[in-house]
Amino acid sequence: MTEKKLDPVSRRILLKMFGVGAAWLGLNKVSSVLAQVSGQATQQMPGFTGPEVNPSWGAVGPFVIFPQKLPLIQITDRPVQLETPRHYYLTPFTPNAAFYVRWHLEGIPNAVNLSEWRLFVEGHVGKRLTLSFTDLMKQFKPVSIAAVNQCTGNSRSRFQPRVPGAQWGNGAMGNALFTGVRLKDVLDAAGIKAGSLCVQFEGLEKGRGLTESVSHRYLKSLNLDDPVINESIVAYEMNGEPLPMLNGFPVRLVVPGKFSTYWIKALTWIRVLTEPDTNFWMIKTYCVPDTPHGNTTVKDVKDGRVNMVPVGTMPIRSFIITPDGSCKIPVEMPVTVRGIAFSGSGRVVNVEFSADDGKTWSKTRLGDDYGKYSFRTWETTWIPKHTGKYALAVRATDEKGTTQPDGEFWNPKGYLWNKIERQELLVDAAQ
Amino acid sequence: MKKIMYIFTGILLLVIVSNKPLLAKTDLHGLVRSGQYSKEVLLGIPQPDTMKQSLDGVYNVGTYPLYTPELAPGEGLDMIQGYCNLCHSVTYITMQPPLSADTWEAEVYKMINTYGALIPEDETKRIIAYLQAYYTPETRKQ
Repeated sequence: MTEKKLDPVSRRILLKMFGVGAAWLGLNKVSSVLAQVSGQATQQMPGFTGPEVNPSWGAVGPFVIFPQKLPLIQITDRPVQLETPRHYYLTPFTPNAAFYVRWHLEGIPNAVNLSEWRLFVEGHVGKRLTLSFTDLMKQFKPVSIAAVNQCTGNSRSRFQPRVPGAQWGNGAMGNALFTGVRLKDVLDAAGIKAGSLCVQFEGLEKGRGLTESVSHRYLKSLNLDDPVINESIVAYEMNGEPLPMLNGFPVRLVVPGKFSTYWIKALTWIRVLTEPDTNFWMIKTYCVPDTPHGNTTVKDVKDGRVNMVPVGTMPIRSFIITPDGSCKIPVEMPVTVRGIAFSGSGRVVNVEFSADDGKTWSKTRLGDDYGKYSFRTWETTWIPKHTGKYALAVRATDEKGTTQPDGEFWNPKGYLWNKIERQELLVDAAQ
Repeated sequence: MKKIMYIFTGILLLVIVSNKPLLAKTDLHGLVRSGQYSKEVLLGIPQPDTMKQSLDGVYNVGTYPLYTPELAPGEGLDMIQGYCNLCHSVTYITMQPPLSADTWEAEVYKMINTYGALIPEDETKRIIAYLQAYYTPETRKQ
């Protein structure tokens, strides 16, 4: 995302020198050409990181192009996992074309026929429903919610020792304004029968595994007594547009405050169950230690002292987006430091900034409030007083008083990372 | 005017042929370098063509491209291409950090015992041996 522009003075002089000749050779485009072959671009990034921590903000990997998407950072190509680059987080809403992608099984929809596609509501209900896309848009009251969708393994490449899994940097997250129908309205229309316990969701995603193996179907459930049932929606619109195919067209489940593992893409089956859902995707993976904050150690896992439970709410996080350390900053220059914050457990009420590696903190200005499940932008003006190396840091606090940890953190699957983020940069002489 | 243009063109051609920076360091105060270009040509990502669409109810985005890297050549690579590649691309291997020999063994058995991969015992051992030979902290090169 680095861009190196020829400063206006030297550009003017070059143009003056070349005059008509420059235009004739097309050399008046010199500044845009320079931007493409900046010093950094000639050095290839490593193909992998480890066994140390990934030092980059994002994942390492090539920029790749997929349908309906801008160039994103490739994690894997089959099934598709793509990371959003850092600078798309300067705005509270992440553009659909830049929104990260994460599928589990290789059978991802390429084409869906809406004249045949239906959403099925079945199981322990009074009346089975078969709803078309039009039924969803016309028969139910539309609702909108701004909500952060974050992969449970976001920032997994920060863990030490490293753990296997998708090696995300920080870009397995996005915020969108989702529009659709309340899950509760759909369930009420079907009529949940007494004795029901949970609702299971399944999409069009299928794997090559044998029909009943865990690598064939991806299934997730929510308990009916979970308050999130009343806040979840079946979304047919994302930021005012149809969902990109890779983000779950035609509809996806939106479960505000919870990790993305529950947000079933290309949602097609809703099943009301009378027994706990003990399928693999609920109880064998996407599980975290039942310890405070899901924190444990390699030794405790090896000694069998760790009890794993299904992951749920997203812990509070905040990020510095700019400055990103790609350029030095002249001493005494007022710099606008910008970023985002969010929490699954309550509205973000305070974001603090530190320019001394977390020793002292100051309040930042918060951006517009789009609801408690949305990204909240923040910014602050920082004037570096001396030259040298700085470690900027940011931490957020939500309305429940929850804030971010700064100590040792590890769990065997690489989930729930929310440590205080830092950005190193150099402040150099201004004269 | 025509004469001046000839002179300019001449200077330009001279500059291009000599392949030297346009400006000497002393010409502009503070300018350290300018007009330098990489000798290597970096290839960009080609833009895909717009998907053809029609009024048939089908919402189609076309095929998903593959960007699968080459694996390290070596004994057992054919087993990887045959078995692992069935359910996922081998990018799932190169994407990982270097993993310990024990972790690779556990990963392969997870594919068999948890995800239901059908790999005979002998081939399983060869797959594990390959991953341990090329993708641990001690052995990984690419």
